[in-house]
Amino acid sequence: MSAHLPRKSSVALRDPRWLRWSLLAIALAFVALFLVLPLLAVFGYAFEKGLDVWRAAVVDEEARAAIRLTLLVAAIAVPLNTVFGVAAAWLVTRYSFRGKGLLVSLIDLPFAVSPVIAGLIYVLLFGKQGWLGPWLADHDVKIIFAVPGIVLATTFVTFPFVARELIPLMQAQGGDEERAAITLGASGWSMFWRVTLPKIGWGLLYGVILCNARAIGEFGAVSVVSGHIRGLTNTMPLHIEVLYNEYQRTAAFAVASLLALFALLTLVLKQIVGWRMRRIAATEPDA
Amino acid sequence: MSIDVADIHYAYGSAPALRGIDLSIESGELLALLGPSGCGKTTLLRIVAGLEFPQRGRVAFNGRDVTDVSARQRHVGFVFQHYALFNHLSVFENVAFGLRVRRWRLRPKRDELQRKVRDLLDLVQLGDFAHRLPAQLSGGQRQRVALARALAVEPEILLLDEPFGALDARVRGDLRRWLRGLHDRIHVTSVFVTHDQEEAFELADRIAVMNQGRIEQLADPQTLYTQPASPFVCRFLGEVNELPVALHARWSGHDEADVTAFVRPHDLDFVPAAAGGARIESVRDLGPTVRIEARHPALSAPLVAIHERGRFGGSGLAAGQAVAIEARRWVLFRGEQAVTEA
Repeated sequence: MSAHLPRKSSVALRDPRWLRWSLLAIALAFVALFLVLPLLAVFGYAFEKGLDVWRAAVVDEEARAAIRLTLLVAAIAVPLNTVFGVAAAWLVTRYSFRGKGLLVSLIDLPFAVSPVIAGLIYVLLFGKQGWLGPWLADHDVKIIFAVPGIVLATTFVTFPFVARELIPLMQAQGGDEERAAITLGASGWSMFWRVTLPKIGWGLLYGVILCNARAIGEFGAVSVVSGHIRGLTNTMPLHIEVLYNEYQRTAAFAVASLLALFALLTLVLKQIVGWRMRRIAATEPDA
Repeated sequence: MSIDVADIHYAYGSAPALRGIDLSIESGELLALLGPSGCGKTTLLRIVAGLEFPQRGRVAFNGRDVTDVSARQRHVGFVFQHYALFNHLSVFENVAFGLRVRRWRLRPKRDELQRKVRDLLDLVQLGDFAHRLPAQLSGGQRQRVALARALAVEPEILLLDEPFGALDARVRGDLRRWLRGLHDRIHVTSVFVTHDQEEAFELADRIAVMNQGRIEQLADPQTLYTQPASPFVCRFLGEVNELPVALHARWSGHDEADVTAFVRPHDLDFVPAAAGGARIESVRDLGPTVRIEARHPALSAPLVAIHERGRFGGSGLAAGQAVAIEARRWVLFRGEQAVTEA
């Protein structure tokens, strides 16, 4: 009886065949046109003059500097946002305080603000004519048109990813395990490492992967603060733009293909982690 | 270890949850906090554990003030309503947790820890389940793991929040008899929260009945049942008939009305009478007992009598019959006040 029931109800909910097929066709056409075709084009242009040209573009001195800078920026911004994200999620889900709603909205601010504006804010703050510019110049600290500015802008833009992923997860899990750990004599530190981190582990990794993808691909905010100094302050996306503007199409697409490869890798990782998370959620005791 | 709670006030924002709780729990006692949901019983338990801090009032263990001591330092075993087991750790590691997080000087040696955890798992009859994950256990088994985990740190106080709430009826009965036996063996001062009066009666030495942030009555089960301090306690401890009665002077010194007699269904009798005021409405056979409902024109609620099967056999009551009402035992209240014989 119960085995037949879902089938029956799905028959009742079923749309006419022509509607299903046309919806499917529209969706597939859309994906092909806007996602698959550009991806193929990236690799097509990258390899249009053969493997040697591609390799030459990638191992070029300036390209290598751009890759190094991109990785360096991600290596600073992602750990920072991981720590911030965990702390913010902890604060929001474990304590009640005045202005909590405001804090949650503020965490989302980088999603709402255009990255270009984010970059401009930092120029206005730390640039030569900015509020802190003269003081920074006096102390010989360079932020705008230098690596610190790029790190700042990237950190700002990628701030929400980890917190956004953890807040709903930690809300759903509740804090009784942590309280149990405390009554058993655990310190805050050992509670975090032994109880909280294993609980949120996969969710945290998911957030970190997304954060990292965005940190590597960020263009707008970084473009404003970088100054496009070749071999010094060009990240991979900026380097691609420079090459393209100089009509070095193949070289531009060769570097772009690296970014595209990284994006594909991110997708695979994201799928694996998401699958693990669902499996853990499924085996979790119901009570 | 004895627990003294004095003048505890607690509010969630502007909603008061506890309004002046005074409670003394003797060393080795098993006490139940009984009350409807929202009466503040869980909040009181968490305050004793140090998981919440009261806005006013003191908590003392063995006469030592612990009001400002954190849950970590209070050394209290706490069993959570939904167990709160560490799902990524095996049963063994769950129980060992409290020992592993000790400062290294106090941490037991490897062999000692093994032996201790094994002993505890045997105590809760889960010796064969040491390597399972919590997800692979039944509700009753998880509850026993939670108990063993709390006992591992050798607390002198054990607090249990609705310990049987999430279990089905059969397991619940078995587990609470087992818990009573365990308490009789290890004599740790225990407080548990429940909304089930049967559970409180079966397990506890004394019961504190709570309502709207206050303790209505604190007494042993028998006193609670025979001398309830308020109509609330009387109603909460099971089905009861409320009959408006007029008192003669021999009771309270002078004649008075506005008194209600509370009569339990098993203390009520219906006697066939030609001119009785009430009429039998239904007779239901419940197996070991028979439930008889009757209506009196002056009362809005039906009167309920529950008789043992054997006793019912002879009386021959049937629906529609006119009957007189007889009560064998009752408790009298004038408003919230108990009325005693003068």
